[in-house]
Amino acid sequence: MTLAALTFASPTWLFALALVPLALLAYVASRRNARRYAVRFTAVPAVRLAAGVVPAWRRHLPAALALAALAALVVALAKPQRSVAVPIERASIMLVTDHSRSMLATDVAPDRLAAAQRAARTFIDQLPKPVRLGAVAFSDTPDAVQSPSSDHDQARAIVDGQVADGATATGDALQVAIDALRRDVQKGKRPPQAIVLLSDGKTTVGPDPVPIARMAGQLKVRIYTVALGTRDATVPNPNPFGSPLSVAPDPDTLRRIAQASGGRAFTAEDNDELSTIYKTLGSQLGTRKVKKEATASFAIAGLVLLLGAAAASMRWAGRLP
Amino acid sequence: MSDGVLTPPAARQGPGRMPTALVDALDLVVARHAAGALPGDRRAAGIGSGTELAQLRPYVIGDDVRQIDPSATARAGEPHVRLQVPERTLTTWLVLDLSPSMAFGTAERLKADVAEGVALVLGRLAIRRAGRLAMVTFGAGRPRLLPPRGSRPGFVALRRVLSQGVAQDGTNERDALAHALVRVGKVASQSGFVAVISDFREQHGWERPLGALRARHSVLAIEVTDPRESELPAVGRLALVDPETGERVEVDTSRRRVRERFAELERERREGVARELRRLHVDHVTLSTDRDWLLDLGRRLR
Repeated sequence: MTLAALTFASPTWLFALALVPLALLAYVASRRNARRYAVRFTAVPAVRLAAGVVPAWRRHLPAALALAALAALVVALAKPQRSVAVPIERASIMLVTDHSRSMLATDVAPDRLAAAQRAARTFIDQLPKPVRLGAVAFSDTPDAVQSPSSDHDQARAIVDGQVADGATATGDALQVAIDALRRDVQKGKRPPQAIVLLSDGKTTVGPDPVPIARMAGQLKVRIYTVALGTRDATVPNPNPFGSPLSVAPDPDTLRRIAQASGGRAFTAEDNDELSTIYKTLGSQLGTRKVKKEATASFAIAGLVLLLGAAAASMRWAGRLP
Repeated sequence: MSDGVLTPPAARQGPGRMPTALVDALDLVVARHAAGALPGDRRAAGIGSGTELAQLRPYVIGDDVRQIDPSATARAGEPHVRLQVPERTLTTWLVLDLSPSMAFGTAERLKADVAEGVALVLGRLAIRRAGRLAMVTFGAGRPRLLPPRGSRPGFVALRRVLSQGVAQDGTNERDALAHALVRVGKVASQSGFVAVISDFREQHGWERPLGALRARHSVLAIEVTDPRESELPAVGRLALVDPETGERVEVDTSRRRVRERFAELERERREGVARELRRLHVDHVTLSTDRDWLLDLGRRLR
């Protein structure tokens, strides 16, 4: 737990931390007083030899512990809170994956489709059980649709069953995914919903995806987009006499889609980036931050320090500080 | 370091009663101790230059004709003079500790009070029979030397020095005693009686100069102690400060181990001083602040 992760429910109490330097001043003043009232004695070197040298840190240890205890108790009064990530109990996520012909490009090893499939599989593995997962695979049209369900294997089957062929109909696919999410009503209301869109090229057929993304934003469905591939990638032309076709990704459109719906846009140019993005998405979509009271640990630490101060003082000074 | 600033200690008690009868009895004792350092047994000056024959030698021009020895001149056929061993008065040197640690005492009086009493008694005895009194003080910054003076002037100077008190706290000279002894050895050309009055505490290197003094003078070492310096009472935690070094220490006197260790260290220290004085064949008297020091002085010297 880092200190930066701490927030305070009643931070006003933190002003009481000013007590710590005040107590330190009082301690220094009392030490000075004790010195002023020292008894004159001629055999001090022998006394020092007889009593043994007490290291400075041990003389001040009880006071230091007591001050630390004071600080810990004051912090405990301010009700410190820690934000922790807990798995989401209810959420629905649609995986929308492109398997157009451009996914044959080998700029991402071994080819774009295989890399996307592998990354999607790790994403699915990472999701907590209660999250409902659906999938849409599309090329010319959305050809395989699975509505959100708690059985992640069905989505996994769709991801695995893709074959790269055809054009890119991003708008249609998004529409299908939003419709599926809209139907996904649990206990009278829709859970938090998100779409993860993986595409590698321009939308070639079907409607413009950006207005559809705006509609998703109105429905509070966030779209996280991943643009896969490098700009210079090509695939062989189906026409044996034609030159290879350029299949550069279209990160601009995807970014606009993400912005319109309130999600985030990522670009991946190789396998590692893709895995990292999916991992981030998995932990972002699969968990949420919860503030957890940390008062007890500070109070206990204060108490232990206080007891330590008392014990040290009794042991070495024969009195409570 | 306060250089030579003296103040009478606040807890000064004075040396207490000094009965004349006791002082007179001590006269004989001290006289016997000082004997042997002088030829002629310190006959008073003024009745001639001496009675004991030192040598006979031929007359040379310039010799006092009254010293011509008739029989020697007759036997030898040429004038001879008779030279006597000169008889001198006794000079008493008091080497007095004025260090801040002397202003300490937990019984009837301070160590400085005992030292003052001893100095007064020895001073009074010193000026009897035309003796002379000299003094060296140390431990209070620059050492002070009062040259040998006879009779009243010597005693008045002693009283003036004693009334000024001891050094203020914070004066710390570890070889002040050694320097004072070296000084006495240089200045005291004739043999005399040297009394060192000190607590022999936190002083180093005094053994050699004292041994050198012992070769020419009759030396008496008077150690002044306080009962608290030899054992700590069990009174719980104490914050102590050393008057000379200003060193501070906190000690839990309720711990038996600490008290025993302290008593052992102090006993070793005192035994070390006594052993060193015995090795130098110097008479050693220990006076404590909780006893009748005059009686003890007489008893120990007997």
